[in-house]
Amino acid sequence: MVMKNPDVQFCGYCITHPSESKINFRIQTRGSLPAVEPFRKGLTDLMGVCQHVLNTFEKSIKEYRAQREEEMQ
Amino acid sequence: MAARRSTDEMRERVVLGEFGVRNVHSTDFPGNYPGYDDAWDQRRFEEEFRVDVVGEEDGVLEFDMVGIDAAIANAFRRILLAEVPTMAVEKVFVYNNTSIVQDEILAHRLGLIPIRADPRLFEYRNQGDEEGTEIDTLQFQLKIKCSRNPQAAKESSDPNELYFNHKVYSKHMTWVPLGNQTDLFPDADFRPVHDDILIALLRPGQEIDVLMHCVKGIGKDHAKFSPVATASYRLLPDITLLQPIEDEAAEMLQKCFSPGVIEIQNIKGKKVARIANARLDTFGREVFRHEGLKNLVRLARVRNHYIFSVESTGILPPDVLVSEAIKILMGKCQRFLNELDAVPME
Repeated sequence: MVMKNPDVQFCGYCITHPSESKINFRIQTRGSLPAVEPFRKGLTDLMGVCQHVLNTFEKSIKEYRAQREEEMQ
Repeated sequence: MAARRSTDEMRERVVLGEFGVRNVHSTDFPGNYPGYDDAWDQRRFEEEFRVDVVGEEDGVLEFDMVGIDAAIANAFRRILLAEVPTMAVEKVFVYNNTSIVQDEILAHRLGLIPIRADPRLFEYRNQGDEEGTEIDTLQFQLKIKCSRNPQAAKESSDPNELYFNHKVYSKHMTWVPLGNQTDLFPDADFRPVHDDILIALLRPGQEIDVLMHCVKGIGKDHAKFSPVATASYRLLPDITLLQPIEDEAAEMLQKCFSPGVIEIQNIKGKKVARIANARLDTFGREVFRHEGLKNLVRLARVRNHYIFSVESTGILPPDVLVSEAIKILMGKCQRFLNELDAVPME
């Protein structure tokens, strides 16, 4: 998500030690923006994606079930 | 034109070569391909994204998600396996266990039994809380004693005739309401999902008397809390014939793939092979073992078309599990956003 932002020059993560649940996440922008902005935008975009996926999935399930009801009758 | 086609292939297909897989990683980031606008665009995503439900039966849901990136599809799969909460037996208070099954083995087996209780009605137990309250604990009792059947025939050796209650099934687990649970859940019927799970075997004189506390947990903590038998996905196969294949080569080609993938048609007296349904193929790569065929076929997978298969253990229906997984991912994003806003950045 963050990689899809054209302002981001570098983005990467590493897990410092497998026993600790900590991730080092690095975002580097091209000098114009503070680096928190792509992070924030990435999180908001991801939430938008999830919301859309949820809506589409529930709609598809409803349609599938309605279609199966029709076929049974 | 050819250059455009090959970049399209690099962007949209994962190609299975004879000795390795090419184009595995997604490369469609802004700036990588001149002439393509790869910046994130919610509207474009919504236009191209779709979900098609293929089948739903017996607790198995098969559906397609098209137009989404690998990382997000994988996130849904991982959350389904490890982070969707369920209720399972956590503490077993053994009052009497004279059976052959050791206490800890019995407790382990009881923990793995799926309990039909909607986890969304309960809270997580607070850390350090040993007693458990009505809102976070379900209590079950298993009290069973095996006795000899006086009416059995003298020479019979069938345990079903000789003994009463010698097989302890999950249907012998009864719900014991705690506190005001009878008011909170008036028409709830909390019991194991399946009645015929064999827990232990007894002989006359042996008895099991245990009290169990079920709590809410996630699969990451212990696999007994995982709500899915398994959740997996595969990418849609894409098989292309680079040249027309006829006669014996066509027959050999049909044998190389799973049944139903290649169809042989009779065109003007000659047998011609045609791809009927690439989705059925499991990619055994048998084609590459035949020298004559291996350069005539291109095996690939469509990069952003995921065929999910979610099988539930019976606690919640699979479509509810997928919705919960998506909501959990949204919850995680929201948590980070809240933290970002709370901590002032310089």
